[in-house]
Amino acid sequence: MIKWLRSESFTAWAFMTPGLLLLAVFVFWPIIYSIPLALTDYSVISDTHYVGLANFEAAFKDRNFLISVWNSLVYVLIVPFLQIFSILMAVLVNSRIPAIKIFRTTYYIPVVTSMVAVALIWSWLLGNNSVVNYLLIKVGIISREIHWLSDSNLALYVLMFITMWKGLGYYMMLYLAGLQNIPQDLYEAARVDGASRWRLIVHITLPLLRPYILFCTLISLMAAIRVFDEVYVLTKGGPGTATLTSSLYIFQKGMEQFNFGYASALGLIVGAVIGVLSIIVFRFNRKGGVNPY
Amino acid sequence: MIKKAKGRLRLLVSMLALVVLLSSCGGGSSKPENVNGEKVTLQFWTIALQPTFTPYFNRVIADYEQKNPDVKIDWKDYPYDAVTNKLLTSIASGSSPDVVNLNTEFASQMGSKGAVVDMNEYLSPEEKAAYFEGIYNSTVINGKAYALPWYTGTEVLYMNTKLVKAAGLDPAHPPKTREELSEWGRQVNRKLGKAGYAQQLVSKLFAIDGIPILNKEKTAAAFNTPEAVTMINNLKKQMEDGVILKEDADFAQQVKYYAGEQVAFELAGPTFINFIKTAAPDVYKNTIAVPVPTGKADVRLSNSMDLVVPTKSAHVNEAVKFAVFLTNAESQTAFSKAANTLPSTKDSIKDPYFTQSDQSLEAQAKVVSAQSLDKATDYMVGVPNAKDVNSAVTRAFQNILLNGTDTKQTLTALEEEVNDILKQ
Repeated sequence: MIKWLRSESFTAWAFMTPGLLLLAVFVFWPIIYSIPLALTDYSVISDTHYVGLANFEAAFKDRNFLISVWNSLVYVLIVPFLQIFSILMAVLVNSRIPAIKIFRTTYYIPVVTSMVAVALIWSWLLGNNSVVNYLLIKVGIISREIHWLSDSNLALYVLMFITMWKGLGYYMMLYLAGLQNIPQDLYEAARVDGASRWRLIVHITLPLLRPYILFCTLISLMAAIRVFDEVYVLTKGGPGTATLTSSLYIFQKGMEQFNFGYASALGLIVGAVIGVLSIIVFRFNRKGGVNPY
Repeated sequence: MIKKAKGRLRLLVSMLALVVLLSSCGGGSSKPENVNGEKVTLQFWTIALQPTFTPYFNRVIADYEQKNPDVKIDWKDYPYDAVTNKLLTSIASGSSPDVVNLNTEFASQMGSKGAVVDMNEYLSPEEKAAYFEGIYNSTVINGKAYALPWYTGTEVLYMNTKLVKAAGLDPAHPPKTREELSEWGRQVNRKLGKAGYAQQLVSKLFAIDGIPILNKEKTAAAFNTPEAVTMINNLKKQMEDGVILKEDADFAQQVKYYAGEQVAFELAGPTFINFIKTAAPDVYKNTIAVPVPTGKADVRLSNSMDLVVPTKSAHVNEAVKFAVFLTNAESQTAFSKAANTLPSTKDSIKDPYFTQSDQSLEAQAKVVSAQSLDKATDYMVGVPNAKDVNSAVTRAFQNILLNGTDTKQTLTALEEEVNDILKQ
């Protein structure tokens, strides 16, 4: 017993337990509990009845849900752009140019700003008679107002841009940590062999950043499918269903319409979609995939 | 290998056991009191009324407790966005409040789920007759009244006289119908390049032109008619002509547009004045209030706050009694004076406060809207699952008016969706 108390595994468990307890209460248990809930018409406020797989059947016939899943999948398109731009920014702020700390801080400000505040600012920037339209008209890029958030062909892409703009600094910092872990002598050896700057990035930086790319791709993929705040604040899923994402639809069904059983079923389906996509990303990043060598 | 697997399995089982143990630590249900002559404590919740109206509530609660010494009122106030979650979690944990202030849509939604008591079972015919019929019926579904109407508001037309005059229009002869309002909007747009007004795309738009949302039995959608197609196409035209902003603008957006003088008109209840007074004092000075132009239905729509008693309340009888007291004519008149709202009781508007105006904007809006209360009706009268229906209608309006989908096709799809909602 005393031997175990002094062991490394005890120390590890001691550090992990508080976090695990919180996760157990607020993450694991709700996920487990949503499985039986999805088989009922649970609404919190009235009697609950077992409905079997009816919620799942209804989900696959629910046009709005299918649209919301599709919109969430479209949202995933930001993942590669987010990774490419944040890697480029990390490379940039990793260089020794004057006032680089100011750039790092500036890029990171959107990350620490509340998403609701960011969304409100963007709503002012993009609304009717907004600053963005005014400037674009003045410069002559557009001739009349563009309804950025109430045009069904644009709104989703505008939201994706805002999500990307806010997330860039976060992923840049992760990649910066990765870059600073790459031994400098590798670069020096390559330079001695006459490698260009581009070849250094392709043959040293990217291969050694691979674990970071996998991690960032996974979490940004999950975040893209779970996107909620900016959609809720800026468009509420509108116009029509143009920006209705799965998280928002689940929220509406559960918290606004009290169909918690149905919302649980939708949550499990979306969870399965995220699971499948995550597996694909893992497979892609095992041996094979993009081989920079 | 096997050892490792066993270890992992043990870890998983112990984690699950821990989770189940933790999850069982829920809140206990509230027990009915007053069994041994003890005081009954009623949990009374309101939305966004503290601290502005605290003196009124302290007074009315003290008055009630004095008249009912066996009852104690525990008053709590929550922000509008938080009250839904708070109510759900309280009911789920078995500590339901007893009297809750909700809007008509939310009250109807809870009524459809059988979560609030039927007031018709508790009120005498005289007590029911005290309320304006159109407003009392707003939460009646299948003959059951799921809420008592409390304070209400009917829309008036606010006009920015500076813009209206600049467009060559005379504010002394305001528009009386929606058609006239459209013409005014067109002229404002032509002369000043600004829009007439901003609007939210909700089911109310049907009600303005007398298009029923549901059939009389409330069992099926009734809006898929040629009249509805005409009405929506007319709205589309008005958006193209700059009469209405091409946007689904919620109340906060509407305040922003009016305060920024981007629109000349606003159709809203009396609370709009407080916002505009704070946001744009200069615009407030140039604003007048006139009766709202009516649509084809010639009705004035109310937007009420209600009081409900959840079925999970441990003191239903006492809760209903308190809700009746809080919504009687005397209490409502006093609250209207304190809060610049309208009452839902017939006797209240006989008070001189609702007939005399000192020509301030607040007084104009109050007198104008009080006169229309007897004709007022809530636009979501007795709609089951009102929230689901409303969001489906909003999505369809947005699709037609903002995304350019075909009116008839979208209405047919909406009809199908609403019928599915009603079957739930």
